[in-house]
Amino acid sequence: MLLKRSSRRFIHIARRRSGRWNTPCSALLLVLGLLSAACAAPEPMPPRTVTDALGRTVAVPDSLGRLVTLAPNLTELVFAAGAGDRLAGASTADDYPPAIDVLPRFSALPLDVEAVAALDPDLVLATDQVNNPGDAATFEALGLPVYFFSYRGLDGMLESLRMMGRLLGTEAHANRTADALAATLDSLRARSDTLAARPLTLLLIGDETLYAFGDESYAHEMVALAGGRSATEDLGAEAPILSDEFVLTAQPEVIVVAVGPDYDAARLLRLHPTWDVVPAVRAGRVHGIDPDLVLRPGPRLVDGVKALARLLEPGANS
Amino acid sequence: MRGLLGVGIGLGVLLAASVGASVAFGSEPVALGEVYGVLGHKLGLSAAPDPIVERIVWRLRLPRVLLAVLVGGGLSIVGVGMQTLVRNPLAEPYVLGISSGASAGASLFFLGFLPPLLSTALTLPLAAFLGGLGTLVVVYAVARTATGVSVARLLLAGVAMSALMASVTAFVTFASPEPQKLQAVLFWLLGSLHRTTWGTLPAPAAASALGLVLMLALARPLDALLMGDEPAHSLGVPDETVNRGLIVLAALLTGALVAASGAIGFVGLIVPHAVRSVVGVSHRRLVPISFLAGALFLVWADVAARALLPEQQLPVGIVTALCGVPFFLVLLRRSEYAFG
Repeated sequence: MLLKRSSRRFIHIARRRSGRWNTPCSALLLVLGLLSAACAAPEPMPPRTVTDALGRTVAVPDSLGRLVTLAPNLTELVFAAGAGDRLAGASTADDYPPAIDVLPRFSALPLDVEAVAALDPDLVLATDQVNNPGDAATFEALGLPVYFFSYRGLDGMLESLRMMGRLLGTEAHANRTADALAATLDSLRARSDTLAARPLTLLLIGDETLYAFGDESYAHEMVALAGGRSATEDLGAEAPILSDEFVLTAQPEVIVVAVGPDYDAARLLRLHPTWDVVPAVRAGRVHGIDPDLVLRPGPRLVDGVKALARLLEPGANS
Repeated sequence: MRGLLGVGIGLGVLLAASVGASVAFGSEPVALGEVYGVLGHKLGLSAAPDPIVERIVWRLRLPRVLLAVLVGGGLSIVGVGMQTLVRNPLAEPYVLGISSGASAGASLFFLGFLPPLLSTALTLPLAAFLGGLGTLVVVYAVARTATGVSVARLLLAGVAMSALMASVTAFVTFASPEPQKLQAVLFWLLGSLHRTTWGTLPAPAAASALGLVLMLALARPLDALLMGDEPAHSLGVPDETVNRGLIVLAALLTGALVAASGAIGFVGLIVPHAVRSVVGVSHRRLVPISFLAGALFLVWADVAARALLPEQQLPVGIVTALCGVPFFLVLLRRSEYAFG
């Protein structure tokens, strides 16, 4: 079974490579090369080994023509690093950028190992924010190398973008993107540093059950860069569910609900009628935001900071 | 009867004090003076309180505590009724699958899975009632034999129907467009009081009052049923009618309670048992004292749920199951337990 798999894999690679050499001469060279390979059987080039963010040693093949990412933020990082055209498939959770629409789909949560293996990737990219590190062994047993990312915060995201470039051989492109994103963040920081008033901001992940960002979340950094103070940064739990009375006591001046940009502020008061005395509700400063810009720790977090900054401006329309 | 009055008054005072004390507990610290300032203001005793504290104490915490009273008391008297019906102390709305059935009915309705013709004719508590009734009828029909109710069959049928109904709830929740699926499943299957507003209370209050009155009115026939259907019949008790009435009443009460709070388990198991060991098996005493004791139990179980994980909104059903399951196992082991 494994033998059959690997031979199929070889044919697959040969077929793909042959596509690049489209003159009869190069085709002949290929045939000769294959023949000589069959006769002389030289040692294959040793794959380079890298250490991933979990400290695992990963043997990365030379040719990384087929990539699979197991989380939407990694898909976006691959595109930002300039290697988006090498994705062999996309998970059912992926929805950005639009270029992925033509790719075959697989389920990443729960992980459909069979579907990923069928895509015949050269390298699988995963992140411990979403994926289970235990799955790496499953892929290794199938002969599929897995590289795990592990990062927190905006700086971690930019560093991972550069790392993605080094890994995929698109270093220059990845560094250019990272530099541009860092410059945008710097200008946002310079702007927010000059603000006299920083509104107390409650960033909610749901409006019915009040999921929020807790302890050591990157979301507090985003709110700070956008010119606010996060109302949940001192909570002990990493993924707290807030009570109505927490919000009443915290008295946030702005509430941003990450369920979509056109959020109906009246809905929040309908679900939580006691919040009529919360300053954000009184002042009409309840806004919605595209959840992917704040919940998905990828390059668009920078767009998330920009969107938040607009919402935190006094007089922003909801 | 004097002893009963003493226990009743004692429990009533304790319950009132507990309701008063438990509104001081919550995820946010509120000074005791301010908490009771709100209650004092509502009773016309003190000046208008801070509007934020007023909302926390009067509109968030108090309805929640009162729902705990109704659900704890209501489930306990359903437990009494079920235990009399099958003449076994292991019967309980959660164990027999009534709660899961009500939960399934409620979630089918809530998530819009019923055909339009049916869903316009129903309300949430009514859907829960029908789910609970259907489940209990199946369990009872399976457990009933020519000589009475088989305990082994009853428990097995209860477990099986409970699992089936929980799967129905989980399935419809996952199949629905509901964005917060896991939270919805947890609410219906584990039970929680954290969504309570004043508007939640009328249906459970009416159902609990009805249950209490009917069970008290039926105290004498229920006592007779403890001896068995045959002896009760020979005493002139319409045993079949009372049995059917108990089934409908249990489903009605459980339905109304589950629609408001999800399926909170084991209250109806622990409370009647503990109460029976103090006041005996006579329903005239057992029913009202169980109601008070069940209310007291759930009020404090909910305080524990709020205090244990204040930043996670722990469902109170987890606390009651943690207390109830060991209790259930001990009861199962102690075979000499008998009525009357």
